[in-house]
Amino acid sequence: MIWTLAWKNIWRNKKRSLVVIFAVTLGIISGMFLIGFVEGWSRQRLHDAIYNEVSHLQIHNSEYPGNEETDLTVINPVRLVLHIDSLKELRSWAKRTRIVAMANTPWGNTGLTLFGIDPEREKLLTEIHDRIVPGGGRYIDSGNPSGILISDKTADLLRLKHYILTDSVMEELRHEKIPVSVLERINQLRNVRFRSLKDFREGLMPLLTGKETARYGFLISGKALNYRLRNRVQVTISDIDGNPVQGIFRVCGVFKTANTGFDQSAAFVNAAELARLYGSGEIPVHEIAILLNDIDDADMVKNTLNAVAGGNSVMTWKELAPEAALMNEFMFVYYLVFIGIIMLALAFGIINTMLMAVLERTKELGMLMAIGMNRRRIFTMIMLETIFLTFVGAAAGTVAGLALIAVLGKTGIHLGSWREGFEAIGFAATVYPFVTPAFIVFTVIMVTVTAVISSIWPARKALKLNPVEALRTE
Amino acid sequence: MKVLELKNVNKIYNSSEIKVHAVNNVTLDFEEAEFAAIVGPSGSGKTTLLNLIGGLDMPSSGEIIVGGTILSELKPSQLIDFRLHNIGFVFQSFNLIPVLTARENVELIMVLQKWPENKRNLRTIELLNAVGLGDRLNSRPARLSGGEQQRVAVARALASKPKFVLADEPTANLDSKSAATLLEIMVNLNREENVTFIFSTHDPRVVKMARRIIILEDGKIVSDEKQCQ
Repeated sequence: MIWTLAWKNIWRNKKRSLVVIFAVTLGIISGMFLIGFVEGWSRQRLHDAIYNEVSHLQIHNSEYPGNEETDLTVINPVRLVLHIDSLKELRSWAKRTRIVAMANTPWGNTGLTLFGIDPEREKLLTEIHDRIVPGGGRYIDSGNPSGILISDKTADLLRLKHYILTDSVMEELRHEKIPVSVLERINQLRNVRFRSLKDFREGLMPLLTGKETARYGFLISGKALNYRLRNRVQVTISDIDGNPVQGIFRVCGVFKTANTGFDQSAAFVNAAELARLYGSGEIPVHEIAILLNDIDDADMVKNTLNAVAGGNSVMTWKELAPEAALMNEFMFVYYLVFIGIIMLALAFGIINTMLMAVLERTKELGMLMAIGMNRRRIFTMIMLETIFLTFVGAAAGTVAGLALIAVLGKTGIHLGSWREGFEAIGFAATVYPFVTPAFIVFTVIMVTVTAVISSIWPARKALKLNPVEALRTE
Repeated sequence: MKVLELKNVNKIYNSSEIKVHAVNNVTLDFEEAEFAAIVGPSGSGKTTLLNLIGGLDMPSSGEIIVGGTILSELKPSQLIDFRLHNIGFVFQSFNLIPVLTARENVELIMVLQKWPENKRNLRTIELLNAVGLGDRLNSRPARLSGGEQQRVAVARALASKPKFVLADEPTANLDSKSAATLLEIMVNLNREENVTFIFSTHDPRVVKMARRIIILEDGKIVSDEKQCQ
């Protein structure tokens, strides 16, 4: 009956209760959205760091991480690989050669790290093969020893991108429902080659209005983009004796990850071809990257491998990508701070509402005390009212928040305007919000704690009533 | 058998400047199944006396003994429990819980006393039938007239089979017809349930029905007479 009474009591003043419920609902939705947003971002960054950049573990010569000199190769890699293969936590591994190089084309140059890889093994380790841009050729393969896989950013720096409105591009644009009047105007640029996006946009600008540029400019330049595949890239490295040597590779593919910094510094070639250019009889191994079935095993596997590493060092993803690790570890603090602020704001609203409810029912509470409802029951009743009020809002907020996250988790939130800025620091411009079951449990605990704490003041106020005085109130 | 005794009970209110002797050396006792009215002008101490008898307030001196228990010796928590099991209350302004039905309002006392559900149901229906509201079990107070609400309050007061019922001006907010019906019901219940009813009132209709009339003036008993009905 106390539960029934408490439930019925919260509906005495429907409007006031609904305002509080709505505030709780909105608080939970906004908390869930923001946490989901940051969690989605953090997970994306962590995923990209693991599956594109550093894997779960890497083994280097113990002096290599400090100065990255080419002669500091992994000591006794064959023996190490035998140990790695015996790990039950292992998903895959790959050996890599890493050599700093200068890359040139007739139109541009850039410094980068050449990764000499076994393409088939690498496919089991990273997702770079899935990040080939549209019209960007294909992943490097063993059958094409002179192929080089470069990033979209490197293609930009080497001027291996151009923009041209070919007949087929115009046809594609027609199918994208771009107005005929726009197509007619940009037709003036048909088959004109632009060497940079800037030049292309400058070409479009006099032909389109500001509104049309904002609406169709991105689509038109995307379709007009053309990579100079099979173009030659000359790379200069220091060979095994420290002498500069040049090699020619042909662009086989262009990739793009969400981390411009990584993209700008990495290009991939066949390990054997790089070893030949380096002048080594065998493929130098600067890095062994290891992917595990479970990220949580990284520390344990590190300890296992450290025991057999000899003069090599074993590093986990946390050491290799500290910003991703920090963000991952900071998430709980973020939850706590953000949800804490929301709960604090809600607590004041709830306390205010419940104090008003107690004040309005002074006479009734006096009557209940007079007829024999003890303090514990009065306290329980007020506490239950507060908890019900909060939980109705929290339940509605959780359902609505989860629905919102489910929808946005599929469609993503596009931050196109800030794309370059985000990608420069390794974050994708499309965020897929995500909430973990742990977050939902955490929210439920926080809501419960808030409701209980918020109920104490009004409940104590009710307990302090003197039944005789309370019965006299009107 | 005595259900209630008051021995030299005083209640003095000390405000900053004046001292008010609200109940002045009152000695009384009530037998089982009495139907007594405490009458007197406004400010004579009727409500204070009822509050003291009901354990809602403590006397400045003297003793109030209910069924052998001295109320002033009970701790506040024991006093609440004591009221729950021994005293029924009927208030001038009904004081029903607006969100509960007539049935639930009556049942509440028995829930607090942890009666089993089947016993609760039987007693609730029995009492609401007795006060003539057997067909309004599921009506909320807002849908009942003042007289009907007070009848529910009487049923609630009797629900836990108390030793006595205290009614503070129960007919003050009722029209004459409703008041007459309520009084008739209370007289019947007094007889059927064998419960003592003590009223504070200045309603002549109540006085007329009472079998004992205690007149209070300035906190003192000036008359205590039993009359034949």
